[in-house]
Amino acid sequence: MRWFKQTGWRHLYGVALLVVALFPIVFILSASLNPTGSVSDTNNLFSSFSLKNYRDLFTDPQNPFLDWFVNTQVLAVGTAVITVFLGAMAAFAFSRYRFRGRDSGLTGLLLVQMFPQLLAYIALFLLLSSIGEAFPVLGLGSRLGLMFVYLGGALGVNTWLLKGFFDTVPRDLDESATIDGASHAQVFFRIMLPLVTPILVVVGLLSYVSTMGELVLARILLGDDVTKQTMAVGLFGFISEQFSKNWGVFAAGAILGALPLVILFQFLQRYIVGGLLAGSVKG
Amino acid sequence: MKLGSGVLVRYVLLALANALGVYALMVLGDLGMWKGFAAVLAGTLAVDVVYATKRFIPMKYLLPGLVLLLVYQVYVVLYTGAVALTNSSEFNQGTEDRAVSVILAQNELRVPDSPQYRLTVLDKDGRLAFLVTDPDGDVFVGTSEQPLEETDDATLDDTGKAIGLEGYTTLPYAELVGPRSKEITSYRVPFSDDPTAGSLKTQDGSNAYVYKPAARYDAAAGTITRDGVTYTADDDTGYFVSPEGDRLTPGWKVNVGFDNFTRILTNKEIRGPFLAILVWTIVFAAVTVLGTFALGLLTAIVLNDPRMRFRRWYRSLLLMPYAIPAIISAGVFKGMLNTQFGFVNDVLLFGAHLDWLGDPWLAKVSLVLVNLWLGYPYMFLVSTGALQAIPSDVVEAATVDGASAWNVFRFIKLPFILVATAPLLIASYAFNFNNYTLVAALTNGGPPMTSADVSAGHTDILITFVYELAFGGEQAQYGFASAISILIFVFVGAISVLGFRQTRRFEEMS
Amino acid sequence: MRRTSVKATTRAVALLATVGLLATGCGSGADDDKPAEKTAGGESSAPAASGTLTVWADETRTPIVNEIGQQFTDDKGVKVKVVQKDFGTLKDEFTTQAPSGKGPDILIGAHDWIGGLVESGGIAPVELGDKAGELQDVAVDAFTYNGQTYGLPYAVENIALIRNTDLAPQAPKSWDDMVATGKKLVDQKKAKLPIAIQQDPTNGDPYHLFPLQQSFGSSIFATSPEGGYDASKLTIGDEHGIAFAKWLSQAAKNDVVNPSVSYDIATGEFAKGNVPYIITGPWALAPFDEAKINYSVEEIPSPGGEPAVPFVGVQGFMVSAHSKNPVAANDFVLNYLGTEESQQKLFEVGGRPSAMTSVFEQSKDDPIYKGFGEVGAAGVPQPNIPAMDAVWAEWGKTEMAIIKGGDPVKLWKNMTKKIQKTING
Repeated sequence: MRWFKQTGWRHLYGVALLVVALFPIVFILSASLNPTGSVSDTNNLFSSFSLKNYRDLFTDPQNPFLDWFVNTQVLAVGTAVITVFLGAMAAFAFSRYRFRGRDSGLTGLLLVQMFPQLLAYIALFLLLSSIGEAFPVLGLGSRLGLMFVYLGGALGVNTWLLKGFFDTVPRDLDESATIDGASHAQVFFRIMLPLVTPILVVVGLLSYVSTMGELVLARILLGDDVTKQTMAVGLFGFISEQFSKNWGVFAAGAILGALPLVILFQFLQRYIVGGLLAGSVKG
Repeated sequence: MKLGSGVLVRYVLLALANALGVYALMVLGDLGMWKGFAAVLAGTLAVDVVYATKRFIPMKYLLPGLVLLLVYQVYVVLYTGAVALTNSSEFNQGTEDRAVSVILAQNELRVPDSPQYRLTVLDKDGRLAFLVTDPDGDVFVGTSEQPLEETDDATLDDTGKAIGLEGYTTLPYAELVGPRSKEITSYRVPFSDDPTAGSLKTQDGSNAYVYKPAARYDAAAGTITRDGVTYTADDDTGYFVSPEGDRLTPGWKVNVGFDNFTRILTNKEIRGPFLAILVWTIVFAAVTVLGTFALGLLTAIVLNDPRMRFRRWYRSLLLMPYAIPAIISAGVFKGMLNTQFGFVNDVLLFGAHLDWLGDPWLAKVSLVLVNLWLGYPYMFLVSTGALQAIPSDVVEAATVDGASAWNVFRFIKLPFILVATAPLLIASYAFNFNNYTLVAALTNGGPPMTSADVSAGHTDILITFVYELAFGGEQAQYGFASAISILIFVFVGAISVLGFRQTRRFEEMS
Repeated sequence: MRRTSVKATTRAVALLATVGLLATGCGSGADDDKPAEKTAGGESSAPAASGTLTVWADETRTPIVNEIGQQFTDDKGVKVKVVQKDFGTLKDEFTTQAPSGKGPDILIGAHDWIGGLVESGGIAPVELGDKAGELQDVAVDAFTYNGQTYGLPYAVENIALIRNTDLAPQAPKSWDDMVATGKKLVDQKKAKLPIAIQQDPTNGDPYHLFPLQQSFGSSIFATSPEGGYDASKLTIGDEHGIAFAKWLSQAAKNDVVNPSVSYDIATGEFAKGNVPYIITGPWALAPFDEAKINYSVEEIPSPGGEPAVPFVGVQGFMVSAHSKNPVAANDFVLNYLGTEESQQKLFEVGGRPSAMTSVFEQSKDDPIYKGFGEVGAAGVPQPNIPAMDAVWAEWGKTEMAIIKGGDPVKLWKNMTKKIQKTING
């Protein structure tokens, strides 16, 4: 009974939520194992078992899933790391310095991201098309160019989230370091960043997932070469035709595409909920 | 010592940035892209001013992100603003000149039942001539000035097609498809001295047909005449318009000032269902944010006990809904909510026939529940992070003082988390206010409001409703849609700034 | 592959992608010849360096177009670059990209895009010449707009009645006969549904109901004297339309049209042998074959008296009005993609009746193609005027509301009013 009071009820809650969270995904898994499967015909759970869809993913040269997968991971991890870095720098400035335009700058960062983005891809297509004439490496059809577009959103709400955490780090800490002769860069890299690791990881994960799922810009900006596409763009091709929807292959790709996040989170969790940091903040 | 290496790094980076900047300026100058040149110049100078001096410390941390923000995000906003002031649409894209040439090309019709001529394109001193063979094997030659006349001097191939003529060079295929491609397709050879007999034209370089223009352009008057009707260029609407108001397409792009904005604000049909839709949009966004936040935070707290085993697995698996593309989850939910065959009615509710997506109220409930499923992992992730920032000494002190777990949560943890996550909640509110994708994928705004005079549904949110007006008709109206984007932005922005002021007050209090 | 797919179901994505092209924002500078183009070609007559044609094709047809393109390159020295695109978003991508000079020279497309693409100035007329006589009339008509043809059709597709010949061995003599047979099978527990006509629970499915609507003499637009549809004369709301609406309401009460039968359910149940009849197209057949269902393809019985003929969709190759190399583009389309051999290959890979009469005749040995082809030959082209875009969504939602028990006359009239408003802008 004691066990239940301490942690048992937590398991109960966790299992209940897991059922709700994973149940729809079971249908996706089932569809991925069914060569003629659909996702909305929910009468047919695991009516057939075949790895054909998974095989198709890796053997069709017209749809190079492996390339898409690698592209997506490189793009998403790259974007996440740089986003975290740029966001943390901005948050450090907003948290530790008082300067003209600070408040309006903060509000502006939040507001600019609220702009309805439905027409953004037209604007960005034209922008990258011009940039590409001078610098093809940042233009249409370039993965680096797309990454820069994603990095345009590196500030914004991330900065707010990070700033909130920088604010919780006691000022005495960096002030005493400064007195000891540390430069502002040393304060930032040696003192602040290690102390806010949990939120850096969270922001990185958020960025990773949003890059991974982004479809519209990737499709229009990555251009013509099928091996340069991302997973979202490539997989969507399987279902974009109304009546030849290839839900099975799409489902297989979606399941495989979700695994890296689960594994990544499994691994990164200790940086989010590690006990070692709490002590040092107190100090 | 460390200071020394820091300075070195700084100057190496600075030199690199300048080298890149100068290189970029050279390329841009070479191509004559002066707007880009000015932007890069400004950027490079800003980098120098900020990083070469000891001043502007905050700017040193802000500049890289800020530059990217300006180039890729602020640009989009400004661009949309510029488009909102035009009539830009599917049919109004290019210049008036292009519209004229397209209209004329579309109205150049092949003379019915006229024969197919086999064509050889000739060249004489850089000027084109058409050598054609009619179905009877007779051969003719002509140029744009010299109408077709029969000739017997041509060289024929095995099939009887004329392929060369004394005094002319036969253009090889590579010339037809090279830079002269457009010259050849726009070349016309009068069929006879009678100008109403039409003229020969080719599209593929190996066949020619007799065409007659059905429309005539008068450049001086700015009119196009077709079938006896005169269409006059109208620079207010960007179309050629007949006295009866009929238009020729395509049109062209013109500035229309604030017309798009007045059109939205004075549109009677929009006003009808507007209030109901606005209220639902606000409720939908608010309930979604509160719901996902509550569930995410609760889950984060429940799983935050270090004594609990398998915590890491729970956490990782609970993130799954976040990693699956929404389009496929929405498809699954649509199936699960099917009235007769869906899992929810058929199994969970023992064969009930609830119309989850078709009943006005149930459809709203479905939308919110599905969004809860899609959205809680985000809040869970953020809350899990936020929980780590709560100073444990404060919590310990309160616990030692005998505060109950609930009170510790209510008065210490929750305010702390709220301050940390408030901007995210506001951003999430703005996102869901415009959550076009989910509504379109799950209910498409349905079921329809039968009372409205305009296409509107019970689960339409503001953006799905107005975008249907901009995109649902004969053509996509980009100018109009841009104006809508801007108005919604102003509206959501105003709400957010207000919400923000409240948070600030909250922040100062705590 | 028809317009509704974009319009109704995946509107989300389509809209995100629906786009357009404000490309002129980029200024006329973007329309100037690109430096690359200026240097290519040149003065020499070496056949090898005569530029490149870019073709946008869907996944199914990319390899074939590549193969035919290789032939073109060998013969004419013009490179053909085939880019694989999603059919569902191809039109929108074309609209966005073509004016900036980044679009293709040739694109694959459905005939119901033509009105929009012509009125926006995106595609150029393609004179088929004597080739027109080798193609099915319905295909050429579908690719005709305001008296001009705008491409080379290669395939024709339409829906028909598919009958499970084990459950219902006899071809139905009439609509009522079919319903009676279906109901009997349901009563005998041999079937779950008397007939499957797919419906989206929110968006309806006017495309699959249209043959039934047409059997009441109803149409969407009046035809204009030159042939083609006249957008200014909306006829959907006339007494024939109302008669269909009333029938639909009855049919729903009678369980003949069931709002819960989505595409997945309809085809899934048919593949399990749980439904004797389904109205669907060639795209749905693979699972039936896989499940070894015995079926036949035949005309849809008429509930309204006149023939219940479906919309016909036609696919083909179109030439961009922005192409910098119109001669090669037309040459490739007409004289390479338009040969019997090419059409045969496109037929084999696509599994739709060919638009070329000779190829279609040969495929008639197969009863499936014969069935679809004959139903299609009697059908009407789905309207290709842009005003049709204003019709789909409201049409489907209204039919769904009627199916769910709404007042058919009131809803139908209301729908007509709204569609008229949308068309008028």
